[in-house]
Amino acid sequence: MRGIYKSFLTGAVLICAAPAAFAAGGGQPPKESSMYDPFVITMIIIMGILLLAIGILANVVMGAASYYYQKQKEREQQQKSGASAAAAVTTLLLLLFAAPVFAQSGDTTAEATATVQTVSSFGGLSPTAFYFIVGVIAAELLVIFVLLYQLRVFLGKEKLQQNLAIQPNKKPAVSFWDKMNKLKPIEQEESITLHHEYDGIRELDNRLPPWWLYGFYISIIFAGIYLWRYHVSHTAPLSGEELQIAMAKADEQKAAYLKKSANNVDENTVKMLTEAADLAGGAKVFTQNCAACHGKAGEGIVGPNLTDDYWLHGGSIKDVFKTVKYGWPEKGMRSWKDDLSPVQIAQVSSYIKSIHGTNPPNAKAQQGELYKEEGAGNTTQVDSTSNKVATATDK
Amino acid sequence: MQVEQFHYDNKIVKQFAYATALWGVVGMIAGLWAAIQLYAPGAALNFAPTTFGRLRPVHTNAVIFAFVGNCIFTGVYYSLQRLCKARMFSDKLSKLHFWGWQGIIVAAALTLLLGFTTGKEYAELEWPIDIAITLIWVVFGINMFGTIIKRRERHLYVAIWFYIATWVTVALLHIVNSFEIPVSFFKSYSWFAGVQDALVQWWYGHNAVAFFLTTPILGLMYYFLPKAANRPVYSYRLSIIHFWALIFIYIWAGPHHLLYTALPDWAQSLGTVFSIMLLAPSWGGMLNGLFTLRGAWDKVREEPVLKFFVVAVTCYGMATFEGPMMSLKSVNAISHFTDWTIAHVHIGGLGWNGFMAFGMLYYLIPKMWGTSLYSKKMATNHFWLGTIGIIIYAVPLYWAGFTQAQMWKTFTEEGQLKFQFLETVTHIIPMYVTRSVGGALYLLGALIMVYNLYKTIKQGSFIANEAAEAAPLEKPVSHAKEYWHRWIEKKPMTMLVFSLIVVAIGGAIEMVPTFLVKSNVPTIASVQPYTPLELQGRDIYVREGCYTCHSQMVRPFRDEVARYGEYSKAGEFVYDHPFQWGSKRTGPDLAREGGKYPDSWHYNHMMDPRIMSPGSIMPSYSWLLDNKIDTSSTPAKIRAMQTLGVPYPAGYDKIANKDLITQANGIRISLKMDKIETPKDAEIVALIAYLQRLGKDIKATAKQ
Repeated sequence: MRGIYKSFLTGAVLICAAPAAFAAGGGQPPKESSMYDPFVITMIIIMGILLLAIGILANVVMGAASYYYQKQKEREQQQKSGASAAAAVTTLLLLLFAAPVFAQSGDTTAEATATVQTVSSFGGLSPTAFYFIVGVIAAELLVIFVLLYQLRVFLGKEKLQQNLAIQPNKKPAVSFWDKMNKLKPIEQEESITLHHEYDGIRELDNRLPPWWLYGFYISIIFAGIYLWRYHVSHTAPLSGEELQIAMAKADEQKAAYLKKSANNVDENTVKMLTEAADLAGGAKVFTQNCAACHGKAGEGIVGPNLTDDYWLHGGSIKDVFKTVKYGWPEKGMRSWKDDLSPVQIAQVSSYIKSIHGTNPPNAKAQQGELYKEEGAGNTTQVDSTSNKVATATDK
Repeated sequence: MQVEQFHYDNKIVKQFAYATALWGVVGMIAGLWAAIQLYAPGAALNFAPTTFGRLRPVHTNAVIFAFVGNCIFTGVYYSLQRLCKARMFSDKLSKLHFWGWQGIIVAAALTLLLGFTTGKEYAELEWPIDIAITLIWVVFGINMFGTIIKRRERHLYVAIWFYIATWVTVALLHIVNSFEIPVSFFKSYSWFAGVQDALVQWWYGHNAVAFFLTTPILGLMYYFLPKAANRPVYSYRLSIIHFWALIFIYIWAGPHHLLYTALPDWAQSLGTVFSIMLLAPSWGGMLNGLFTLRGAWDKVREEPVLKFFVVAVTCYGMATFEGPMMSLKSVNAISHFTDWTIAHVHIGGLGWNGFMAFGMLYYLIPKMWGTSLYSKKMATNHFWLGTIGIIIYAVPLYWAGFTQAQMWKTFTEEGQLKFQFLETVTHIIPMYVTRSVGGALYLLGALIMVYNLYKTIKQGSFIANEAAEAAPLEKPVSHAKEYWHRWIEKKPMTMLVFSLIVVAIGGAIEMVPTFLVKSNVPTIASVQPYTPLELQGRDIYVREGCYTCHSQMVRPFRDEVARYGEYSKAGEFVYDHPFQWGSKRTGPDLAREGGKYPDSWHYNHMMDPRIMSPGSIMPSYSWLLDNKIDTSSTPAKIRAMQTLGVPYPAGYDKIANKDLITQANGIRISLKMDKIETPKDAEIVALIAYLQRLGKDIKATAKQ
């Protein structure tokens, strides 16, 4: 009897678990547009399968009930006892209770399906329809649980009767927890108590919990496979190789991105940017990264003054771009190419060029060579002279 | 048979218990203070001894060796007497052990605050204190084995196996890792360099966790938990298997602290696989603890002692599950160098060690004063404060660690690093604030405990000598059908030797090849010894505990190579006595710091980091600008380095200071160019020299 019960249960569970597989393989998409949504299809298939499960389960429960009823009759004939009759009545009542639920749920399912088919606005489903379907599925699950419970009640009763007849003093059922850990019931502790004690501490000799023991074995096997893969078969990358893989992947991504973006600018192609947005972006980069050494206004602190006419490494936009990008590490200017994007470097270079001649206070003395803008007019000349005077006074 | 009358010595237990509570509170305050500095750098008070770099070693040493150390001794002195049915071997040795250990703690705290440190985590104490520790540890050993030998119980209970393994392994770890060459009374250099030093240090560091924070506490659990629950221990055979497996496997796992570093790959892999194999043996201890409570869960609801034990054992289980997971390379790539590790150790420290200590004190004090606990309600409140404190402490740090690692690794589509290092720090500051709240709650709980215990002591009367009786040992009768392991339980010395052999295997297999096989540390021709000025600067770096926040190990990851430069190679560290790879990046990695910024940047940055990097949480090191370099120590330092095999020319010690001054003058001039006036013998000059040297040697090869 127990076997049958188990197989039925397994069957039911399998059926319940199947939708995913079905949805992937055998799902026939209905013709309505909203029905092409795999989510909707899955939901409907789940509903259908649950309905099927309910049908099968209902049959099983009925079978079990009649079997039980028959047995009960036999017993009654043997024992001439009327006590169990009440149970039989309950059974019938329960069945009666189950049937309407079943019927009802069937109806709602049909309704829901209909609703779904009429609604086609929502990306798949309207919220109402969605909750409706979910509600139906929940109702179906509830019915299944009720049926399973009934089945259990019948089978349990039958088993109890059998047990009562065969062995009245059967041990209490072992819980899953105790089984998993191979725990001895506390009542039988005496049988595994060891014959020693230390300052009143006794020791039991419980078996090792199987999951613990097998877990230990598995970890040892894992260790073997790990070492094999990294150091014998070389099918897993060591740290250095991992870096190469990561860098290659990064280069690919970067190249792919640059190809399709306007960011593909370097020291040969860079042009002075004059848009306000670009200069504002450049100013932001400057405050965050450059101001620490070159001063908030570019007056120069540790690094040189960026507002005068004198440049250590050239003052054209291309030169400035190059200086920012690669740096002059031996002179304390670091490379920014890993921190700033090409566009950002272009922006900040343009910003630096734009603050030329602003004469900030506390400006640092001139460094490097005089640079004149190609095709520069008189204005620049005048500016640079006044600048020179200013620095001279500072000194 | 004649039953013998004797007395248990409770006085020594009382002393250690008081010390446990005292140092617990002190250590936690130091920790809280350091934690606050992470979001309020001003809390360092601009005073050298109270900056994070010095306070953090004080915190770690205080909680590990003072708080947990005294907790271990309390528990061992109480339980060992009762499990052996004998008074401690010698009251004099007990006393010497107690006062010796407290003396070491005080000396440790003072020297660490003054900046005397070896620069190796959890082994920062300088050589005279190392020797004192060794001597006191031997005293403890003699006292323990003396007691075991004069026992009135034939077999050793599992708790004592753990005590024995603890004693012998800690001795081995401490002695090997403390190999150092003294330069002066308060300065020494690690005998090992670079990769080897790292391997030895983390073999030690990891097993300090194993054999100072785990095995002795497991021993305490095996005594106090069944006593408090009045239940038999769940499984004797589980005890046997998990004990031997634990001590054998634990010792191998050290290299998991060095994944993706310059340590040879094979050693890293051993660290990983042994960490994975360690999971089951560790959980054996947790199972034996929790299953012992079967049938006593109703008592757990009533009894604060058991509440503490249950959470302690559960935290032990969580931490020992998390540890192996963090040893997997893919997880370690995220967890290492971030606050994830800090959260992990505090699950173990606050949960397992702290709660075991609290539970034990709540159990012991009423027993020894012949009374009951002053207020169970207060103890329950302590329990909840502590538990909530742990959660509020750990969860933000897990979050912070994970977030920061993700930010470090984020690139823009153009292939640039998306976040500056400082941005990733300022982003997690709210988490730092929350964690300090959690820590404060935990500390508050501990203070409530102190008050509760004080009131308990006031209402009871101390039983200094507790009367007991037991029959002396008879000649052993051979039982034909005895459990095989019973044999060794009768032989403490055999147990000692076996434990030593079992723990020696792993360390030897990992260390010997790393020291002897040359291919493990490939030579790089351009790597040169430090100049005298750089050497002095390096000692300042070590003294200020820079390694507590800055790593010197660029791992082979795309983001680290982009952020810091070429990844670190084993051959770069051959003159690093001690290695300074660090274990946490509160600040950026410094392995390739040399030449990144001008000298004046470093000068201003040390004076006040927020001038150069607004929002930085680094403390100010303004005293470096005034302190003078101790040039008188240069010759001794050079000679010590020569002894360690650093190839300075013979007789260089005599002329080293001349080179030092020349180099210092160069830096002085470069600073002057940037309008900074500084004497050439200021400590800042030496530190700048060292920082500007970092990671440069390898670039020289690239140019050639």
